[in-house]
Amino acid sequence: MLEIRNLTKSFGDVLALDRFSLDLGRGEVLGLLGPNGAGKTTLISILSGTLGDFTGTVTFQGRNLFADRGLKNRMGVVPQDTAFYDELSAMDNLLFWGGLYDVPRAELKRRAAELLELVELAGRAKEPVKNFSGGMKRRLNTAIGLLHKPDLLLLDEPTVGIDVQAKVSILDIIRNVGASGTAVIFTTHQLAEVETTCSRIAIMDRGRVLAQGSLDDLVRTVGERDIVEIVGEFGAAPFSEALQGLAGDRVELLSVTDGLASLAVADTEEIPRIMDRLFRHKLAVTDMKIKSPSLETVFLKLTGRNLRD
Amino acid sequence: MRRLLLVLGNDVRRHLRSPLAILIYMAIPMVMTGLIGIIFAPRAEEAQLPPIQVLLVDHDKALASKLVLGTFDVDQMKKMFRVTVTDEADGRDKMKRGRASAMVVIPEGFTLDLLDAKTTTLTVVKNPAEQFLPDVVEEFVTTLAVMLSGAVQAFAAEVRGVRAMLEGPLDTFPWETLGPELGKAQKKMVAARAYLDPMLIRLKADETRAAGARTRFTRTDLFSIMLPGMAVMFLLFIVQTLMRDIISEREDGKLRRMMTTPLRPLELVGARLLGGWVMGLAVLLVMVAFGTLIFRAHWGPFGYFLLLGAAASFWTAAFFGCFHAFVRNRNQAGALGAPIILAFSLFGGSMMNPEAMPKAFLAVGVATPNRWFIDGAALVRDGRFPAASLAVLVLSGLVLTALAVPALRRRTSV
Repeated sequence: MLEIRNLTKSFGDVLALDRFSLDLGRGEVLGLLGPNGAGKTTLISILSGTLGDFTGTVTFQGRNLFADRGLKNRMGVVPQDTAFYDELSAMDNLLFWGGLYDVPRAELKRRAAELLELVELAGRAKEPVKNFSGGMKRRLNTAIGLLHKPDLLLLDEPTVGIDVQAKVSILDIIRNVGASGTAVIFTTHQLAEVETTCSRIAIMDRGRVLAQGSLDDLVRTVGERDIVEIVGEFGAAPFSEALQGLAGDRVELLSVTDGLASLAVADTEEIPRIMDRLFRHKLAVTDMKIKSPSLETVFLKLTGRNLRD
Repeated sequence: MRRLLLVLGNDVRRHLRSPLAILIYMAIPMVMTGLIGIIFAPRAEEAQLPPIQVLLVDHDKALASKLVLGTFDVDQMKKMFRVTVTDEADGRDKMKRGRASAMVVIPEGFTLDLLDAKTTTLTVVKNPAEQFLPDVVEEFVTTLAVMLSGAVQAFAAEVRGVRAMLEGPLDTFPWETLGPELGKAQKKMVAARAYLDPMLIRLKADETRAAGARTRFTRTDLFSIMLPGMAVMFLLFIVQTLMRDIISEREDGKLRRMMTTPLRPLELVGARLLGGWVMGLAVLLVMVAFGTLIFRAHWGPFGYFLLLGAAASFWTAAFFGCFHAFVRNRNQAGALGAPIILAFSLFGGSMMNPEAMPKAFLAVGVATPNRWFIDGAALVRDGRFPAASLAVLVLSGLVLTALAVPALRRRTSV
């Protein structure tokens, strides 16, 4: 349904997207995971037609996405900002934004009422949106993107800054939309969100897809090894130096920063050897955790950074 | 076109739901006009000149002086003069205190001198603090003196009879001679009437005035002159407020969202310009309606005024379309917009009567919509078609639109 090939976009000297390629099928829910500055919002902006001056191709339903304006009727976009009119009611907003698509008026009204039920705002449909809480606004923001039953839905961090209840509600909507056959791309910082919502996950950093697949596929890329997270009073360079010669098939240094390091170990029996090396190099360890492989581990391995960095 | 109208309708709905800013901008010109009108407009009772205060000092106290006094007492003269008879000392005191416009002094022996056909003098003391009213009294007394002198000379023989009546005792007066004298007098009066009646030349009182203008300048006239200037100034403020959406929607992400829909940039630009025009005209007409209801202002033929309002609103929308295409953000728009509008209003005549403005202001004012709207409104008020104002506003509005559309389209294409 959607084929992205070698999409490249620069902002001055900064390469925001670097030969980015991706395929997406009908009903797939793709979680685009990446740290700040990874290029997620740039990708969504290009796909939604609000950012130009790039190279590469995007084909949607067999047609050039940027040459055929009619395709905008088949795409829904939920921007990061809650972009609608605060002085109008939720229903008025839905009718206006939905009206910009080629949806018959009667159908639009019916659809708006349905969506207000879906996002649990039916009881406040006629109230000015300025009275809504942040979570309610986010739900309305999402509903606006769904009015015309798009074949492709793009969501840019739809759960930022909202309470747990609203977050769960929005993630439910995304799952249901995918189940109804709409292809979905949504960007997030939250590992748990993609783990529970997406049929496919793409991890991107510095404008490129580092890995993609189902959760199980990605976890398998780090093998069955446990992850050891070490906290202490050490610098990144002395830590790497201390473990030199030890790293190999059985111990892999995934990431290290001043005071925090992550290692993948084939067996927990390797841990005393690691500690011994650190003590001998007089590196103080204050805490240590052993974790099972997870998406976080994968992310850490691929990007060398924690998602919060 | 459907999407253009949808955006336009949505803009109207939004501003109706949140109308406070527009209502304030509509109320300000009404309040300002009302205040200025209350302070500066002539009151109804002031529209007619008050009677001229005249002091009359009668040293003669005889027939002729009574005649002079009686002249002031005729109904027609009573409306013009309010005469107070006093003695000379009191009269001069009152004049010093500015209590009267003039004092007329009738000398002792005035009647006898007249009857003897001797020269006598009526004195008019004028109040130097007043400009015109003392001259009116002087003119009136001069006319009276001419008439009295003429009458005495024309009826010299009859006057001599009267003189004898006044001097001698009544029991020795030769009454038998009075009949023929009265007969002569009657003949002279009939002859004089032949000269005077019918008058060959009649005088008709009239005033110079422009077509459609009212006879007197009233408070309503002041409102009618002021309101167009105020209305166009606040039309500028209101349209600027309405069209600020161009900037604010770009900043808050709505523009970006609109561009993810099938809405074309040109449709959005068209909706914004058309919206500014239509809403500006609607607001202007509401201000006109309020002006008519509250101040009874008169605007002239509605059709002409509608055209003028539409042209002014069109110009304003095009101008602020251009303006918002070039300013960077909301703060800049706010900081630059108000001074521009105030400058337009100052030079264009919204803040003061163009007749009282320096020449340099008038020259600059030609480049403002205020000037053309105010001039056009004055013509419409007189029932004339404001062709020049319409031509200037529409043509310059078209030029501004031609500049605004591509510039806004570039800004809209995010």
